[in-house]
Amino acid sequence: MTTRIVAVALLAWGLVTAAASPAAHEPQDLQTLIDDAAPGAVLDLAAGTYRGGITIDKPITVRSDGAAIIDGGGDDTVITIEAPDVTLEGLVVRGSGDTLDREDSGIYVKAPRARIVDNRLDDVLFGIFLHQAPDSVVEGNIIGAKDVFVARRGDGIRLWESHRSVVANNVVDGGRDAVFWFCDDLEIRGNRISNGRYGLHFMYSDRALVEANALVDNSVGSFLMYSKDLVLRRNLISGNNGPSGYGVGLKDMDGALLEDNLLVGNRVGVFLDNSPQTVGIEQWFRGNLFAYNQIGALFLPSVEHNVFWENSFVDNTVQVTVQGGGRFSGNEWSKDGIGNHWSDYAGYDADGDGIGDVPYRLDDLYDHLLDRNPEIMLFSETPAARALDLAARAFPVIKPRPKVEDPAPLISPPAPPEPPFDLGVRPSAALLVGSLTMEAFAATIVLSTRRRRSLG
Amino acid sequence: MTATATKPTTGRSLPDLPERAQWRATLAIAHKELDDAVRSRWFWMWAIAFALLAGVLASVALPGSRIAGSASFGRTAASLVALVQVIVPLMGLTLGAQSIAAQRESGALRFLLSHPVNRTEAFWGFHLGLSAALLAAASAGFGAAGIVTAIRSGGAQAGAFLRITLLAWILVIAMLGVGMFISAFTRRASSALGVAVFVWLAFVFLGDLGLMGTAVATRMPVDALFFATVANPIEAFRLAALGSFVGSLDILGPAGTYAVDALGPALMPVIVGVLVLWMILPSVGAWIRFRTSKDV
Repeated sequence: MTTRIVAVALLAWGLVTAAASPAAHEPQDLQTLIDDAAPGAVLDLAAGTYRGGITIDKPITVRSDGAAIIDGGGDDTVITIEAPDVTLEGLVVRGSGDTLDREDSGIYVKAPRARIVDNRLDDVLFGIFLHQAPDSVVEGNIIGAKDVFVARRGDGIRLWESHRSVVANNVVDGGRDAVFWFCDDLEIRGNRISNGRYGLHFMYSDRALVEANALVDNSVGSFLMYSKDLVLRRNLISGNNGPSGYGVGLKDMDGALLEDNLLVGNRVGVFLDNSPQTVGIEQWFRGNLFAYNQIGALFLPSVEHNVFWENSFVDNTVQVTVQGGGRFSGNEWSKDGIGNHWSDYAGYDADGDGIGDVPYRLDDLYDHLLDRNPEIMLFSETPAARALDLAARAFPVIKPRPKVEDPAPLISPPAPPEPPFDLGVRPSAALLVGSLTMEAFAATIVLSTRRRRSLG
Repeated sequence: MTATATKPTTGRSLPDLPERAQWRATLAIAHKELDDAVRSRWFWMWAIAFALLAGVLASVALPGSRIAGSASFGRTAASLVALVQVIVPLMGLTLGAQSIAAQRESGALRFLLSHPVNRTEAFWGFHLGLSAALLAAASAGFGAAGIVTAIRSGGAQAGAFLRITLLAWILVIAMLGVGMFISAFTRRASSALGVAVFVWLAFVFLGDLGLMGTAVATRMPVDALFFATVANPIEAFRLAALGSFVGSLDILGPAGTYAVDALGPALMPVIVGVLVLWMILPSVGAWIRFRTSKDV
């Protein structure tokens, strides 16, 4: 026993002298370390817990291999960066305050060219907050949130007037938004954002490039507002549900391009509100997969100048519709003789050029009734609603005017875009066992009759 | 004639027999009923058709599984629910409708009741045997769909799948009860079958179409629309199933939103409760009618 204590003591003494730093697990004064460092210094933090409320006012690098914990103790902002060219790497930041109007954050940056890389943030109100910090990089961080009601949460990532920044490969779970205010020329790539309010939220941010993100199980996957020339490409946008759930919402946007996105299993795939807002500007939707949504694309009335081609609309309960009824006049459903693929297209392709010889017309009687009587949505996908459509087709006494007319529907769906992430669909043992039990039950009942019969 | 006249007295004297003997009679009749069902062609036709359709539906609904497992599971579940809505009630209703009426017509019932078996034992024997046959057929179908789903789209919602199976079990027994209720009131198997098919049509198509028409024509308030819809056992099944794999009924437009708002956490219990009432009441009604009628 005594020898063990002596050994531990010797080992600890050795470590302390070697690292020339206080022993681990005791709160250390990180602020002093920073104050003592020269500009340009690299601080390699030893493992241990450090007190938060840090201010960094010179261009230094603070890094660790994930073992240094900076704990704000539930008060205020944990780390504030006030000098340009600061790097934070591999830190664990936790325990900010919870006051929304003070913007309590994990990491709050007020100067240009910050690099916030591979950190882990937990129990923070705002995660990473870039306030007038252009040309910054936020990459590879894992950001959790305070477990409070959504209205009291802060944003996992928030950029304010931070032009030309890069936000890449972060994992954000359970916050409010990842929101970008007045930031031009952003690059948003490879992030996974789930269980928040708006996954990616753009406000007055022009020319953003948004690629290969996964926006899953939020209220809205990505809400694009008041921004110009945004490109949204090859993102996986899925499971964004709830009363106002949208995969992608566009409000007062101009010149957006949505390309090769997977919009799967949302309440509404794409929602269009006054976009494009400027006369003479077009918006393009090409190569997207709209599948298994309650509504594939939902337009507000008088939305015009959107062009859809090479998209697949597969088994959405309502493929496309105008909120409150009406038609899609002023929008195009084909470009240069190439339309979209519609899973409910019933035409044919006699000349074999891959394009249906009859236009696709969306004129379901049930859909038509639904526009004026939204309460009958209660019956969507019932055999009765299907029967109604079938009857209307067979006996076209009431011929609803088609809402959509795609003059060149694609017979087979374009190859679906490659998902940016493997969502890890694995065979399920539980369901397999459950199902086999059901089969065994059925077999037992059937065989029990045979056995008795043979017994006579 | 004398046999029917003495029947009520035999019925009243039976409680003197030991409890186990009654159970044994019920079980023996149930076994016999199950044997008959399994031996008949329709049972295999229903069971195989249902299993095939469920399996095929699960396979075709899953091409997007690589993209988003849980989303395409929703699709599988929705098509499975639509399939169950059409086929399961038809199975239960036709089987139930033929049970008593057919035995009455063929004289099998007279023969059975000439044994020391009272009407209550006979009725619940029929009910139990047919329920077992139907549950076996339904389980075979759901098992097939479940195996395909488990392998191809993962078990993100295994719980929801099992809940839907359970709801389908309740539905099939409810429909059997309605069928037996029809049967208890008709003398001929063919007319019972006719009524059963009409009732099926009413539950599956006419009820919904009528409500849709009423809603469109009269601007029916959403609360009335919702409760009138839930009263239909097949709709109760659909809404409960939808609730268990989508999580909320507010996807069903204003009426759904109304239901979520007005009933809150009681919503699912109310819907499932309606389904359970349909499972109990028609069966009990059929039993009372069968017990008190003098027909054999």
